[in-house]
Amino acid sequence: MAKNLSGDLLVASANRLTDGVVVFLDDAGEWTKRLDRAAVARDKRAGEILLERAKAEAFTVVDPYLVAVSEGDDGVLEPLSLREKIRVSGLTFEAIAADAVRYA
Amino acid sequence: MRCVMPDTHFYRPNFYQYDDYDRTLVTERVEQFRDQVRRRLSGELTEEQFKPLRLTNGLYLQLHAYMLRIAIPYGTLSSRQLRKLADIARKYDRGYGHFTTRQNLQLNWIKLEEAPDALAALAEVDMHAMQTSGNVIRNVTADHFAGAAIDEIEDPRIWCEIVRQWSTLHPEFSFLPRKFKIAVTGSPNDRAAVRVHDIGLRLWRNEQGEVGFEVIVGGGLGRTPMIGKTLREFLPKDELLAYLEATLRVYNRYGRRDNLYKARIKILVHEVGAEKMREEVEAEYADIKGGALKLPAETIEAIARQFAPPALPHRPAVVGAVEALKLEDRDFALWLKSNVSPHRLAGYRIVTASLKPAGAPPGDASSVQMEGVADIADAYSQGEIRVSHEQNLVLPHVAVEDLPAVWLALGRLGFAEANVGKITDIIACPGLDYCALANARSIPVAQSISNHFAALARQHDIGDLKIKISGCINACGHHHVGHIGILGVDKNGVELYQISLGGDVDFGKTALGTILGPAVAADKVVEAVDALVATYLDARSAGERFVDTYRRIGAQPFKDRVYAVV
Repeated sequence: MAKNLSGDLLVASANRLTDGVVVFLDDAGEWTKRLDRAAVARDKRAGEILLERAKAEAFTVVDPYLVAVSEGDDGVLEPLSLREKIRVSGLTFEAIAADAVRYA
Repeated sequence: MRCVMPDTHFYRPNFYQYDDYDRTLVTERVEQFRDQVRRRLSGELTEEQFKPLRLTNGLYLQLHAYMLRIAIPYGTLSSRQLRKLADIARKYDRGYGHFTTRQNLQLNWIKLEEAPDALAALAEVDMHAMQTSGNVIRNVTADHFAGAAIDEIEDPRIWCEIVRQWSTLHPEFSFLPRKFKIAVTGSPNDRAAVRVHDIGLRLWRNEQGEVGFEVIVGGGLGRTPMIGKTLREFLPKDELLAYLEATLRVYNRYGRRDNLYKARIKILVHEVGAEKMREEVEAEYADIKGGALKLPAETIEAIARQFAPPALPHRPAVVGAVEALKLEDRDFALWLKSNVSPHRLAGYRIVTASLKPAGAPPGDASSVQMEGVADIADAYSQGEIRVSHEQNLVLPHVAVEDLPAVWLALGRLGFAEANVGKITDIIACPGLDYCALANARSIPVAQSISNHFAALARQHDIGDLKIKISGCINACGHHHVGHIGILGVDKNGVELYQISLGGDVDFGKTALGTILGPAVAADKVVEAVDALVATYLDARSAGERFVDTYRRIGAQPFKDRVYAVV
C-alpha cells in the first residue's frame, strides 16, 4: 500500500533549459531525469528548503517547483497528479511516427 | 503598404510573395533570436528576461519540451513550404506536427538550442513564428476554401495579407491588453468562424453591387465565450485599415489590463455595450478616415494580383470513369460525398484531406504524410495546400477527372477517411498530454470516440455532427461551438468531461452550446456521446442534422438518455 497520499512528500522538478526535458533535483544538487533519484522532502518545511535549493541550482533549468509524490512500500515514488504523472511518463497515447505512413 | 513585383525565384502566380522588406525582417529576426538564445544559454539573460523574447518568436515551454508555433498566414501553404515544414519536423522535432484551430502548425519537441536553426529553415521558405504568441494581433485566419469556393464573393486572403502587413510588428499594437485574433471570410457560408473572433470580417455585396466588410467585434471563446457584435454593417474596402486601427485604438485605451481574464476585447464590448463601443470606434475612425491608412487602389490591386486565381485549364465536369468508380466503390462514393466540395469551376473540386483517420490524434501529420500531401498538391492541385481551422488539409484545385487518383494517393497516406464534417472529424486541442495550461486530456478522448464510431456507413447515416474537445477552459478546441462540445475539467485530481450541446459557427446560426448537466468520467464519455447520437437518431425528422434536432426538441431528451447510462 502506498504511504502518504496527502502530498506531504515533495520533490523539486523543472524543465531543462536546453531542451525542456523534465528533471528533478537530487540530493547532490544535480538535476536528473530520474524521479527515483530525486531528493524527497518529507514535510512542508523541508519542502520549502528543497525549493530554495532548487532555485539556487536553477542555472540549467526553468522555473523549479515542488511536486507532490507518494512513496510505495518498495520506495518507488509516484506523482500524485495526472499532470505530473504525464510529465514523468510521457504521452498517454501513441504519437504518430515520422515514417509510420509511407507514401508510395 | 508595400507592393513590389514578386521575386521570380519564388514566384507562384497565386501566392503572396515576400519582397525584400519581408525577407529582411524575417531573417534579421532569426539572427536576433539566435543571439537571445545564446545569451540565455550562457546565463546572461534570466528566464524572466528571456521568456517574452521566446514567446514573441512562437516558442512556448510545455510539459515535456519547448513547442514552436509556426504561423501559416491565412492557412495557405505552397507544396514547397509544406515540404520544408516536414523537413523541419524531422530534423528538429520528432517527425510530426500538429495543425491547429488557428491554421498554424505546432511542433511539440523542439530544443531551445536548435530553435534558431528551425526558424532559419522556416525563413528559407518565407515563413516565421512571429506573433503566434503574446498580446499582439495574431496570425490572421481565413476561409480555407478561399480562391476556390463556389460561393465566394471575393478572395479573403487579399485582405488577410493587407492586415498581415499592417499588423506585423505594429508599434502601437505590440502591447495590447491581451491577444487579438482576426478572421476573414469572403463567402456567405462562413467557414472561418468570424463571429467568434476578436474581429471578424465578412465580405458581402450590398444592394448597389459594392463589395465591403461587415465588421464584427468582440466575439471569442475561452472562459467567457461571446458572439461578436456587428459594429459596421458595411465598410468600404479601402477603409479597412483605418477602421481596424480605430477599433484597436479604442481597445488599447479602454481594454482592461488589471485582470488577465477580463482583458479581451469581448469583455470591453460586453461591459460598455455594442452601442458605446461603436460610438467610440466611429469617433476614432472619423479622425483618421481618408488619411494615411486609406488603401490606394493600386496597392489593393498589386496584392490582389498575387492571389490571382491559377490559370486552370478546361477540364470536363462529368467524367465517365469517376461516375463508374462511384458506383463500384462505396468508399469512394462516401469520400466524394463528404470530403469533396464544389469549386468555382465546373471541372474542378476542392478536396479535403482528413487528418482524422480512425483513432488518430486529430490534426497530427507525420513528415512523410506532409511530404505526401505536398506531392499530391504538385501533381493535382497547382502546388497549393490549405490548412483548415478544423485541423484538416485542403487541396483547393483538383480536376474532377483526377479525383480517383487523388483519393488513392491520399488513401496511401491515411488521409482519405470519408469523414469530413462527420462525428469522427473531431477538433481537439493537444490537451494535458502536451499543454502546460490543460486540466484534462483531449486527444485520448477524441481517439476513443473516433474508434467507437469508426464505421463509415454509420457515420454517414448519423450525418453532419461536429464534436469539439478542449482540455481546459481556454477552449483551443472550440468546444463552445461544437454541436457536441466536450470540456475537460479537473475535479480533485480526477479528469471529468463537461458536455454541452447546440453550439454552432454557421453564419446566421452562430450559437454557444449549453451545458447538458454534471460532468462525466473519462471512461463514460463515449457512452455519453453514444446516448446523444441514439437520442438524435430516434427523434430526427427527414433531413435534420443533429444540431437541428437538438434545437427542435431541446436538451431534456438528450439529458435523460445520457444520465441514464453514465
